[in-house]
Amino acid sequence: MRLALPLLLLVSMNVSAAPPDFAKDVRPILANHCFKCHGPDSAARKAKLRLDTAEGARASLDEVLNRIASKDDEQVMPPPHVKKPLTEKQIQILNDWISAGAKYEQHWSFVAPKRPAIPPFGGEAKPSAGASPIDAFIRSKLVAAGLKLSPPADKATLIRRASLDLIGLPPTPKEVDDFLKDDSPNAYEKLVDRLLASPHYGERWARKWLDLARYADTNGYEKDRPRTVWPYRDWVIRALNDDKPFDRFTIEQIAGDRLPNPTPDQIVATGFHRNTMLNEEGGIDPLEFRYYSVVDRINTTATTWLGLTLGCAQCHTHKFDPIPHTEYFRLLAFLNNTEEPEFEVLSREIILKRQGILEQVAALERKVFQSLDQDPAKAKFLAWLKSERDRLQDWKFPRPTKTEAGPTKLKLLDDGSMLALGDPKKEDVYQLIFDDWPVNVTAIRLEALTDPSLPANGPGRAYYEGPKGDFLLSDIQLSIDGVPAPFRDASDNFAGAKSNAKRAFDDNLQSGWAGRGPGQPSHVVFNLAKPTTGKKAKLSLRFERHYSASLGRFRVSVTTAKSQIIAHDLSVDAEETLRVPEHKWTDGQRETIFREYLRLSPELKTQREAIEKLRKENPQGPRTLVMSERPEDHPRKTFRHHRGEFLQPAEEVQAGGLSVLHPVQAGAKPDRLTFAKWLVSKENPLVARVTVNRAWAAFFGKGIVRTLDDFGYQGDLPTHPELLDWLAVEFMENGWSMKKLHKTIVMSETYKQSSKLAPEYLGKDPENRLLARFPRVRLEAEMIRDSALKSSGLLSTKIGGPSVFPPQPPGVQDTAYGGAKWTPSEGEDRYRRGLYTYAKRTAPFAMAATFDGPSGEACTAMREVSNTPLQALTLLNDPSMMEAAAAIGKAIAGEKGIAKEKVDRIVRRCLSRPASEHEVAVLVKFADGVMGDEAARWTAVARAVMNLDEFVTKE
Amino acid sequence: MKETSRRYFFRDCGVGLGKAALASLLVGSASRADTTLPPKKPHFPGKAKAVIHLFMAGAPSQLDLFDYKPQLAKLEGKPIPPEVIKGQRYAFIRSDAAVLGPRFKFATQGKSGTEISEVLPHLAKVVDDICLVRSVTTDQFNHAPAQIFFNTGFSQPGRPSFGSWVLYGLGSETKDLPAFVVMSTGSGISGGSANWSSGFLPTTYTGTRFRNAGDPILNLTNPPGVDAKLQTDTLDVVGELNRKHLADVGDPEIATRIAQYEMAARLQTSAPELMDLKKETKETLDLYGCEPEKPSFARACLIARRLVERGVRYINIYHEGWDAHSDVAGNSRNNCKITDQASAALVMDLKRRGMLDSTLVVWGGEFGRTPMVESNPTLGRSLGRDHHPQSYSMWLAGGGIKPGISYGQTDDLGFHVVENKVHVHDLQATILHALGLDHERLTYRHAGRDFRLTDVHGTVVKALLT
Repeated sequence: MRLALPLLLLVSMNVSAAPPDFAKDVRPILANHCFKCHGPDSAARKAKLRLDTAEGARASLDEVLNRIASKDDEQVMPPPHVKKPLTEKQIQILNDWISAGAKYEQHWSFVAPKRPAIPPFGGEAKPSAGASPIDAFIRSKLVAAGLKLSPPADKATLIRRASLDLIGLPPTPKEVDDFLKDDSPNAYEKLVDRLLASPHYGERWARKWLDLARYADTNGYEKDRPRTVWPYRDWVIRALNDDKPFDRFTIEQIAGDRLPNPTPDQIVATGFHRNTMLNEEGGIDPLEFRYYSVVDRINTTATTWLGLTLGCAQCHTHKFDPIPHTEYFRLLAFLNNTEEPEFEVLSREIILKRQGILEQVAALERKVFQSLDQDPAKAKFLAWLKSERDRLQDWKFPRPTKTEAGPTKLKLLDDGSMLALGDPKKEDVYQLIFDDWPVNVTAIRLEALTDPSLPANGPGRAYYEGPKGDFLLSDIQLSIDGVPAPFRDASDNFAGAKSNAKRAFDDNLQSGWAGRGPGQPSHVVFNLAKPTTGKKAKLSLRFERHYSASLGRFRVSVTTAKSQIIAHDLSVDAEETLRVPEHKWTDGQRETIFREYLRLSPELKTQREAIEKLRKENPQGPRTLVMSERPEDHPRKTFRHHRGEFLQPAEEVQAGGLSVLHPVQAGAKPDRLTFAKWLVSKENPLVARVTVNRAWAAFFGKGIVRTLDDFGYQGDLPTHPELLDWLAVEFMENGWSMKKLHKTIVMSETYKQSSKLAPEYLGKDPENRLLARFPRVRLEAEMIRDSALKSSGLLSTKIGGPSVFPPQPPGVQDTAYGGAKWTPSEGEDRYRRGLYTYAKRTAPFAMAATFDGPSGEACTAMREVSNTPLQALTLLNDPSMMEAAAAIGKAIAGEKGIAKEKVDRIVRRCLSRPASEHEVAVLVKFADGVMGDEAARWTAVARAVMNLDEFVTKE
Repeated sequence: MKETSRRYFFRDCGVGLGKAALASLLVGSASRADTTLPPKKPHFPGKAKAVIHLFMAGAPSQLDLFDYKPQLAKLEGKPIPPEVIKGQRYAFIRSDAAVLGPRFKFATQGKSGTEISEVLPHLAKVVDDICLVRSVTTDQFNHAPAQIFFNTGFSQPGRPSFGSWVLYGLGSETKDLPAFVVMSTGSGISGGSANWSSGFLPTTYTGTRFRNAGDPILNLTNPPGVDAKLQTDTLDVVGELNRKHLADVGDPEIATRIAQYEMAARLQTSAPELMDLKKETKETLDLYGCEPEKPSFARACLIARRLVERGVRYINIYHEGWDAHSDVAGNSRNNCKITDQASAALVMDLKRRGMLDSTLVVWGGEFGRTPMVESNPTLGRSLGRDHHPQSYSMWLAGGGIKPGISYGQTDDLGFHVVENKVHVHDLQATILHALGLDHERLTYRHAGRDFRLTDVHGTVVKALLT
């Protein structure tokens, strides 16, 4: 925990006669004490009094004054039961404000930033050549407070600071030496440019972005199973390294799939909003948790791009900010019309290898097919054809006149099969109505078919808890002219008459027919108790499990055959082809038959196995989570939800922006692309400010607006409003370049100044809001481990790829459901940068959690910076810290030199600067007292140095 | 540290750090800096100083342990009337499932005449010291959301947990141990670490996990090759150099770091001392049914008592394993064998040491189980019970809670609460009240609004308080 210094700042400065400042002094009081009942929320409004607008307040201000000053519990406002009494001073402020005419102003952050004039460098000595406008803004405030910038930090401090900030790693001793030796005037700028161009820049800044994206490698909640979304993480790294303009960076993540001819990269980028959690617990209602995901998406978007705490408006009109309840859901509608597929990322390597395998398979198949032209294979094939033809029955493929399937839309495909679109539920019932049902139907055949659009290719729609692509037909019912037509028995093509398909018409809805399994087509035949007679049929298919398990694609066929039908293992497509004489077969039909023969023929076992073996070697790319839009003819409706509750949908709403901000482009399609463009429109008063403010906080520990996630009425006011606007306008005019923004900041004298704290300043600005010194900031979790690995020479510089499992003490994962295993990675993967550590939501990597790393459960705009005994124990005793110290100890023991020099080298490695005489003296003495060999001694010294405050701090 | 938490220090720390303390930090006498969570005044005097929450994760069957319903035996095998079910969604069973009668005999116990099941013979001995609430109700019917809901007042991860709120409100009475400790036995916990997360409160308020194997606290023991002397020398040299750096740079954060290293060193001594049960008498060990070297629920309960003795504020012991979708009788019997004796022993032991008045023991799960049977041939389940959010039972003891009473009633089928409903938010408000905290005033400003453990709900159940 950081010690609390600035008690002294609490004293007010408002003694002058000038009327109180509305934004700074008045609105915070109104917002905190009055708006809840007299604010934007009309439903909660009491006495029809509205104090958030001038019009609403005008008539009642005298009454307001009386009531807030009243000593009568019945009269006084706010009423005692809300436990928000006004202080005498607050009452005085409101009094003064009302006496001065009760002027209202639009909230600062809702007014678009304009490029402010750069203040003169008053008071200070002439600015140096390198002084930036940033310094002018900072200085003008410092001068006014009787303060000034601190002298520049020494060069060793500077290179360590800039390296940690820009690439998240400390410099090597050689890099430090080179920089110290370089006395050219642009030595620092060269350093900055080198760091900005480093591929590790993207890693450092990706980690910050991933906090907002709530990135993790597992689904969260009870089961917390693994997911693949690291290709999105790698996309972020690449995009930042490429300095993709922030507007583009945004559009691709929100709506990359909606761009014309999207590239695979642009589709992968939509993983941003697939980082929401997925509850796979057995009994959940999947639609409920989908709703929570969408809510999370809109809240995360608002935090990340608007700096607004939109979450409040989920349940009711925002009590403080001007965001009506309905507008929340209008905004949500932009993100609600999505499907959530996986996308296979194919590297060139995979594509080539796949091509090779497919060619080999084709060659093998060709060989088999050719062999069928000659005896003895030909004779056998023809015999098979005949036997299959002999058992052919007549099947018709009736097409339903109407279907009814709740939120699911059944789309009729050309081959007569139905594809299920939309949201699967835990219980789905598909009703197919036929107006022209054939007479004398004796059996119904149902094919469960695969389709690339389904999870794991189907045939089912299970996407959580159970195997992906699973389904369970728990009940099938047929009625003719409203009269039930019962079934007598059932069989399928893989278990024949032993099939458990009969369970689909028993009394138990928990049992049923599940097909051959995910990824495989199969079919089932239900024989009717007696032939049907009527024309109007209703076929009802019920799918019910403790997870969503409806069929994704299927086809119905019927027969009037008199004999009892037992399903037979031949695909229906092949069967239909058999009806055509061989000489009329198209090439495609011929292949269908050959393949089916190859699949079934006992004679071709060897060839079949050879092909299957090849197919198994076919490499798969990672299937990463992405977004896609619902088909135009089947959009998802969005409703306002009363009290924000899933179970209380109210009226339907259409997508739309926030009335307090700039308008959405007129006439644009109400989709994610329009929404994304609205977010990064130059008219948006918030997005550039919020973004530059977050960048500022990354360097200075705190934002210009302290509340990085709240630019609304309740948020803090900017300490340097003009500087914020200047940075925001610069950022937009510089083509939204993050690298240029970062360079502008680190080139300023404000950034380069020393972090030493002059005691006389403490009284004037204990919180260092005015930046009379560079703020010391504790390193982020990943940086601490990365620093230890870098100092010890263990760090792997490999960029990207699947997440890794560095060693951590056993038992960290014990409390996770099912006692998840953590098998440490081998080789260089033990020493990868922290952002590649497997992020398990319910049991985060211990060291990261100890140093305030996020769990990935919610969008994090700013990490906590704590200072705890558990951190001390980690740095002292964690095996990975010890391993790093030992690596240094071993290296130093093998080097030449006397003890003093060795101590100096250790300090250089760990702290990026030479050791002071005092440190040398203390550490040499310490080393002398260590029992054991050379390596043990220097390990002990390295361990001690890595436990210094300076090691975990950006000075 | 977030601005908000900084504000908290000024606003809520009362005594806080004046100029004098600041000055003393800056001249380097940092060893005295008390940077753990200083104890804070409650909103009003509370009876309880500490809470031990025995979290029966997976959800025990109230109908087989606490809430006897002879009517269920009569109706066994018949479908439950639809007008009882209404629109309730279930996790696994269909809403027309048949009724399942109580699996065990019940009898009245103690002077209070509290009726409990035969599989709780030990609880029967302390029944006059506990308050049995048969009318608890929750909003959630799946494990992870319901556990997180009980602990944080919200069904999705991300908000501060009960223990974090209590530390935030009351601070810590110990400088040698973490003030919020989490232990677990049984299998993993559905809600995971969200159950003891500090959410958006500073991470200092996060529960510290005491593990069953290896170091009770992560990285508590020195790494291989580091003996006691080297550790002491290292701490000395680190302290010396940090103090020098503090003098050079003047950042009080360094003073905090120095103090945290001192606390870490104390932990290295105090935690093993805590875990060392040699000084406990055989009689005490037998009372709990605890084998000192063997991790168990019983050992966790005994350690919980020792933690309270040492000033620890909030203790969670999770016992996961009650999720009886099949064979609810066998499941209940087994889990009672593991938990009944030690739970009762904890109450007895606290009482005879005079600690029960100031220690609140809470026992229960995240929801209840259905009066209807769960059976599912596909999943291989029979004679189980599904999740039931409408009503379930918990018990509380000590810390300002009325002993020897039963509170609340469910209908004849044990389905709905018909008298004195106690929502989870009410229970949270009541427990905070017992600690001297007003759940409406214990707020924290985050993302533009004041958050509470009880969200915008909760009423203190005065009838449960002494």
